[in-house]
Amino acid sequence: MTDTLSFPDPTQLAVPFFVAAILAEFIWIAVKGRGGRYETRDAVTSLIMGAGSVASGLLLGFLAYGFFMLLWALTPLDLGTSVGVFILCFVLDDLRYYWVHRFGHRIRWVWASHVNHHSSQHYNLTTALRQTWTGTFTFMMIVRAPLILLGFHPAIVLLCGGLNLIYQFWIHTEAIGKMPRWFEAVMNTPSHHRVHHGRNPRYLDCNYAGVFIVWDKMFGTFVPEQDSEKVDYGLVHNLGSFNPLRVAFHEWIGIFRDVVQPGLTVRQRLSYAFGPPGYSHDGSRDTSETIKAKHLVRNPQDRGSPGFTQ
Amino acid sequence: MPLEILLILVVLGIASIAVMLHLSGRSKRARLTAESAGAAWERHFPDDQVTGVIAAQDGHAALVTTSAGVGLVWAFGADTVARHLVEVDLDDTTRGLRFRFSDFTAPSVRVALAPEERQLWRNTIQAT
Repeated sequence: MTDTLSFPDPTQLAVPFFVAAILAEFIWIAVKGRGGRYETRDAVTSLIMGAGSVASGLLLGFLAYGFFMLLWALTPLDLGTSVGVFILCFVLDDLRYYWVHRFGHRIRWVWASHVNHHSSQHYNLTTALRQTWTGTFTFMMIVRAPLILLGFHPAIVLLCGGLNLIYQFWIHTEAIGKMPRWFEAVMNTPSHHRVHHGRNPRYLDCNYAGVFIVWDKMFGTFVPEQDSEKVDYGLVHNLGSFNPLRVAFHEWIGIFRDVVQPGLTVRQRLSYAFGPPGYSHDGSRDTSETIKAKHLVRNPQDRGSPGFTQ
Repeated sequence: MPLEILLILVVLGIASIAVMLHLSGRSKRARLTAESAGAAWERHFPDDQVTGVIAAQDGHAALVTTSAGVGLVWAFGADTVARHLVEVDLDDTTRGLRFRFSDFTAPSVRVALAPEERQLWRNTIQAT
């Protein structure tokens, strides 16, 4: 058993690269006069969220790591540390990312952690760093359990997860239009991920991929960027505060307020916590389904077009 | 990476990016006209029909009357945020009005208004 295997956290090592890339993107936008927008407070909030996410990992990462090492002690399987195992782990961990990300948009409990990543009305490299502080509390580490039980060492799984996040950094930009066709077909790209960050009804709940866009194509959640519809970034109900604490915790507080309101059944309380974002017991709020349906009432010509096929 | 080095990198990185953005004019707030405020409202609430807009003279906020009641749209950095005026407390300030929402994501907004504007805004809000 490769019990003592460990790797450095690649996301920490990448911090100097992140800073340099942000500076380069900003200078490129300033010189060219196109390719994205920067705003001081928005960018600073994103960067503080990124720093807080690293701090959260340092403080709470031991919980997930302990869980993974417990599983590792239980499993009789050990696939070793060959290059082939690493590559297979990277691909399977990306499939894991797809589902965690999809849960993150469809289950309010997980959305409460992920929402902050979508809370900027801008889309630039700082947006990539607007990461969660509360991921541990979603318990989505459970989705990694099969990988470890199959014999992938926790250190390899965590390294693959870190590399996955680093890959996703560069796709948070408007400075790149489309990549070559073969690349767009297989990989997640700035174009595909811009769509994911859209609040347009057409672009809600799609393109969950981390590295390989093929997962969205396999599971029916792929929507290509439309030349006819510019992406409008942010949340359906955009935040009115740059305060990182409000950004980090607002949806958790929303869940709490909804769950404890008087006069609800147990099922309704559970639905406020674990139903889709936008659930309400009295139908006073909109889910992505009702937002799309209302859009189609206003724009019936869009029915059947990408993002409105279901 | 040693924690001290990481901390220095993060603090210097954030500070240098913030200074660069501010000095290059990226701290300017959005300016709203009656037309752009109406469009901003419809972006935030596409189901609403805008029936009237009173833009603040400083261009950083507007009072919007809609089919769903009256609302406030305001500059949020280079972008905008909008809220219906429900469960809101209104306070006079030395420079205008402060809207205090019962909303964790948008706790309060200060809108700069000349005295005659302030009265018009108050009357409009009270009339709905």
